Amino acid sequence: MSDSFSIKLNGQTVDAFTGETVFQVAARTEVEIPSLCHDDRLAPAGACRVCLVEVAGQRRLQPGCAWVVTPDMEIITESDRIAKHRKVLYNLYMADHELDDAGLPIETGNGNQLRELCKTVPAMNLEPVIAPRSGRPRDDNPYIQFDPELCILCARCTRYCDEVEAVNAITLSNRGGETTIETAGQRSLIDTTCELCGGCIDTCPTGALIEKKAPVNLVQLGGTEAVRSTCNFCGVGCQLDLHVQNDKLVKVTSPEPGETLNDGNLCVKGRFAYDFVHHPDRITQPLIRGEDGLLHRATWEEAIKATADGLMKVRDKHGPDSLGFVSSSRCTGEENYLMQKLSRAAFGTNNVHQCAAT
Amino acid sequence: MFGAGAMTNAIDEIRDSEMMFVIGSNTTEAHPIIAMEMKRARQRGAKLVVADPRKIWLADMADVHMQLKPGTDVWLLSAMANVIISEGLYDQAFIDEHTRGFDSIRQKVKSYTPEEAEQVTGVPAEDIRTVARMYATTKHAGIYYTLGITEHTHGTDNVYSLANLVLMTGHLGVRAAGMNPLRGQNNVQGANDAGATPIYYPGYQKVTDANVRRKFEDAWGVSLSPDDGLNLNVMMKEMSKGNVKALYVMGEDIVISEPNVSRVEAGLNRCEFVVCQEIFHNETTRFADVVLPGACFAEKDGVFTNSDRRVQRVRSAVSPPGQARPDWQILCDVARACGYPMPNYAHAGEVFAEYASLSPNIAGISYQRLDQNVAGLQWPCPDKNHPGTPTLHLNGPMIGRAEFQAVDYRPSAELPDNEYPLILSTGRTLYHYNSATQTRRDPGPVAKQRGNFIEISKRDAKIYGLEHGERVRVSSRRGTVEAEAWISPRVRFGCIWMPMHFAESRANLLTNDEGDAVTGTGEYKVCAVAIEKIKSNVAQPVELANS
Amino acid sequence: MLKPTADRERIIELLEHEGGVTEASVRKVAAQTGVPEADIWGTGKFYTLINTPGTRVRVCDGLTCQMFGADELARQITESGKEVERVSCLGQCDLAVATLSEDMELVTYTKKETNISPASDDLAINLAGEVDLGYSALAKARLMGADAVIEQLKISGLQGRGGAGFPAHFKWTSLINQAETERYVVCNADEAEPGTFKDRETMLRQPHKMLEGLAIAAALIGTREIYIYIRGEYVNEVAALEVAIDEAKGQLEDFNVTIVRGHGAYICGEETALLESLEGKRGMPRLKPPFPTESGFRSKPTLIHNVETIACVPSIVHHGGQWFHDLGRTEAGSKLYCISGHVNQPGVYELPLGVTLDELVEQAGGYVGTPLAFSPGGASSGFLPISQRTLPLDYKSLAAAGSMMGSAGIVVLNDTVDMARAADWQLKFFERESCGQCAPCRIGTQFIRRQNEKYIQLGDPATFEHTEDVAWEMEEGSICGLGMIAAKPLTSAREHFPEHFKTR
Repeated sequence: MSDSFSIKLNGQTVDAFTGETVFQVAARTEVEIPSLCHDDRLAPAGACRVCLVEVAGQRRLQPGCAWVVTPDMEIITESDRIAKHRKVLYNLYMADHELDDAGLPIETGNGNQLRELCKTVPAMNLEPVIAPRSGRPRDDNPYIQFDPELCILCARCTRYCDEVEAVNAITLSNRGGETTIETAGQRSLIDTTCELCGGCIDTCPTGALIEKKAPVNLVQLGGTEAVRSTCNFCGVGCQLDLHVQNDKLVKVTSPEPGETLNDGNLCVKGRFAYDFVHHPDRITQPLIRGEDGLLHRATWEEAIKATADGLMKVRDKHGPDSLGFVSSSRCTGEENYLMQKLSRAAFGTNNVHQCAAT
Repeated sequence: MFGAGAMTNAIDEIRDSEMMFVIGSNTTEAHPIIAMEMKRARQRGAKLVVADPRKIWLADMADVHMQLKPGTDVWLLSAMANVIISEGLYDQAFIDEHTRGFDSIRQKVKSYTPEEAEQVTGVPAEDIRTVARMYATTKHAGIYYTLGITEHTHGTDNVYSLANLVLMTGHLGVRAAGMNPLRGQNNVQGANDAGATPIYYPGYQKVTDANVRRKFEDAWGVSLSPDDGLNLNVMMKEMSKGNVKALYVMGEDIVISEPNVSRVEAGLNRCEFVVCQEIFHNETTRFADVVLPGACFAEKDGVFTNSDRRVQRVRSAVSPPGQARPDWQILCDVARACGYPMPNYAHAGEVFAEYASLSPNIAGISYQRLDQNVAGLQWPCPDKNHPGTPTLHLNGPMIGRAEFQAVDYRPSAELPDNEYPLILSTGRTLYHYNSATQTRRDPGPVAKQRGNFIEISKRDAKIYGLEHGERVRVSSRRGTVEAEAWISPRVRFGCIWMPMHFAESRANLLTNDEGDAVTGTGEYKVCAVAIEKIKSNVAQPVELANS
Repeated sequence: MLKPTADRERIIELLEHEGGVTEASVRKVAAQTGVPEADIWGTGKFYTLINTPGTRVRVCDGLTCQMFGADELARQITESGKEVERVSCLGQCDLAVATLSEDMELVTYTKKETNISPASDDLAINLAGEVDLGYSALAKARLMGADAVIEQLKISGLQGRGGAGFPAHFKWTSLINQAETERYVVCNADEAEPGTFKDRETMLRQPHKMLEGLAIAAALIGTREIYIYIRGEYVNEVAALEVAIDEAKGQLEDFNVTIVRGHGAYICGEETALLESLEGKRGMPRLKPPFPTESGFRSKPTLIHNVETIACVPSIVHHGGQWFHDLGRTEAGSKLYCISGHVNQPGVYELPLGVTLDELVEQAGGYVGTPLAFSPGGASSGFLPISQRTLPLDYKSLAAAGSMMGSAGIVVLNDTVDMARAADWQLKFFERESCGQCAPCRIGTQFIRRQNEKYIQLGDPATFEHTEDVAWEMEEGSICGLGMIAAKPLTSAREHFPEHFKTR
């Protein structure tokens, strides 16, 4: 990516670099090229055919996601030929897709980019083909649901599983109209190498993959904006979008690829393990151990006083260094700051630490 | 050494690596998204070397897997240094300009020949040579390590040995290279940055430094202790001796996560007063005199600092349940009740502002800037116009010179014998997190791993007459737990592995709390154990995915 | 992501050895090769010879076999209590109807013997000629060197005989200009175009011409590695090749000749799908560029030729390019024409390139009944009316007529055939053989076939309302040649035989 040259994109002269694809060049311009099977995290597949463009000197239309530009190349992304191509292609997709009453690909809890594309072309109302794609009806994994009726076989999920997550739990299977996404032996994802990262759902453009825990699209329902936060598990620091409905956390997604350090990716814990937040086992009240040796409900005033009294009593009797403060690498920076300040400023001891090694 | 315990390089540089040397890090399970970057680099043609006693998932896609015997890291790394020096592959210019003490290493590693290393570590001499050459001659070659390096009585020596390799090959101040400890918890970096450590105030300013102390005394309006405090490992031991008599524990299940937890429990029983600030009842709250209900990450504001020194916002999305409150507010109330005039912070951001004003490393970071920088800000970020520092030492490396640290191999504190013939290592799995109070409340992790298990080699399983899925009793000098035996190709003969997550079967009843002399970190990765089959009660076999 | 130690290229063969794709076989092959189970499963499921375990009688569904009563035969076999699977063309059109027994043995029901042209020195392949084990052309080519041989190839005018008709010497030139020195020669013996069985006869009767051609190619581009990818249904042909390789041990000692059998996927005759299959993957065509000459097998420069193309090379080296060139009439060389259907002596006839249908049928003993239509170059070429009987059967003329030379698998249909039915048989073939990778082909082949079927059922031409547009998109939008021409049987039949597609 060193040598720079220029090409013509829809008649405009634009800069390009050696090895770049039409997509990479177009990304720096206003030119938008539709696509379904492309994800920047994956090698271009050129399989959905949505992104075909005209390349001067080429008899055939070529996929913009994969076509590598060379100096002075002329690329056309809008023409009568491309318009007709898109019209018939989208209509073919519709002939092989579950449609709503308006005759458009159905909306799903995970969106449906095909639906948006189909809105841009006249409907041909092609007779549906009944592609006999198999699903995994007996897959009892708790998180990931596959609906073959909504699958366009773009293979983003299988390529993500191979190229990004590298666990190869799912695969394109069968062929022709029977092509579908399967696990070995059509087993439940739980019984495969799947690590339940849910990246397949994230990359799926049509909602053929959705979250079992959160099948509904909140944005569609006028739900609140997602709250951007940081994952509370390991030390990578993935950014999360916390989706909230009625003061309940109902779904977690990653920011778009390219935005944050996790590049659109999450693991099983970050994406799915949020049931604990609203779990009935949460401690909801301060508790003080009574004479009977049991913990009893208390008010905040009582509990704070009991805490302060207990600590001060030991300090007064045995000196400040008889106290130990165990802070938490699970809590925020501010809280750790306050814990060490409590230890040092309020009690005069440096006996403050946390699980630093881990 | 060269700087604080943090990654020298940024996580997103990994994808541009030409080589990755991953040692003592089960990256795929403990840092899944960093592992994805490693896989991406591998996909782009980078070489991957894994050094780990276990055949971890990442080892499957490695070009070389050095399956060393647990605790022999110093031998392995010194032999690599031996190859690099004897073959003249070191970076003389870097050594001359930026380091001190190379001769001490040159002398020290002379006797650490690859052939002898093979005898001690079990790693073929030829592999050691191959990897040493590959590392020394590849520009964008980074070292990535975690607790497999540090959780030893010689953890500091392990780290020194790695640092020596980095320095002699000049892999510092180079993109997609460096020395990268991957921090285990969401904010372990931030907790240390914030001064939750017995020897540092916020920003790694020494408590024993009088000038620093004066600064904090001025800021906080009180006089402060001039003495180093107790690190957690020592604190636990002092507690069991009766010298620490009250404990305030926030967000940590110490009787699961600390080594040799029997001793921790005994200490807690001796304590006059114990406070726990928690979101769930756990093993530690059993000992609490007062339990204060805190808020989880989704219910409060603040910052976490990740492994690559990246400060990022935590934002409140939902209300805490019942009367639970954000932990920072509870701490302020406790301080005030103890007579210390903690300011009336209106918002976590005001706490942060105070903290940042006292920590030169993050002085340039504010909530406002974090809102604008969606990818966070990496310290050092000394002023409000500073863009943050993705790669440490990038332009003109270090202030002063880094010192080579010549170390000698010392065996782990407790080695197998006739009574306890196996080596136990412990660790995390992908599906659970630490004491698993969160992850065991979600169906996926439970479906994958419902309870405790050990990984045991086929050969050992045969010796003990074990079938896959049978229950075993695992004992060390410190305790006994029960678990399922999973026969696995991933562990060495004579070694077993157990996750740390399960409260009903705590791995840390077994582990050795003998600590590293410098850090106090316990020897979670090596202790001697015995196992015996439990005759009745045969459980259903559980398939180990990826095995 | 594959482990560095994984051995993917073996998985298809190992699956076959295990009796086909089952959960257990996939697990075992995964353990043997280090390839993830899902990848093995998905790959195995692509290939019809292994995707369903168990044995059954395979009855050919090809155009000629259909014309000669394949449906009825299948019914009879089913009634006899055997399980029957209808399969794509078995490459035995001259012997129609063809089946493969449960033991994969060829059983034919009308004819047993193949007709071929008599021996002659003025034929490049000369199927009936004496077998020459001397490999003198190889020795000569080595003396001449690459440049001189390529020059003769250029003079010869040899065009790719697999169907594309691309001048052969271009590939050789491109290969020797690659910087990468790890190179491969691959022979495409995956003959599966309905109506085509010429490579079959070449491998049975003149295997050494092909082997010598491959050896010449390998010697000149500088590699030891020769792969022959042959369709799995060609059991006898594999055996013949193995014998031939053994016979030529001495001459081939500088080369590693590896026979890789296909497992039931027409698309693997497409060169990049073939390469995927060689690498142990689903046979889905790659995007081009890069072309195989630049990045082929194992991503290395690869020379791929059809059996007939490569088998012409020894004669060209031996007699010179001009000799070969002059064997042709309208275009260069002699050509193996397969002819079947309504003719008296179906077979493989080697004739000057550019003969007419009438001349070809004369060789084949004349028409049976009143000829109506012919398919000049396999299913991909669609249909032409018999009025085109005097058209030269060459690459240029057929392309100009909106058809193609293809693999020269000519099928003659007489007026007993309903062209809508004939189209249906061919459309079914493409629907079944579409790899499923790209939507225009995967969905288009289903749509087109169903609309035609609906017409056959209802007799209402309104069912064809959108077929032209869809056919256009299949040609414009598909990744590979299969999708591009898969609507051709219908569009050509409707164009040339409108009376067969009226309201009825």
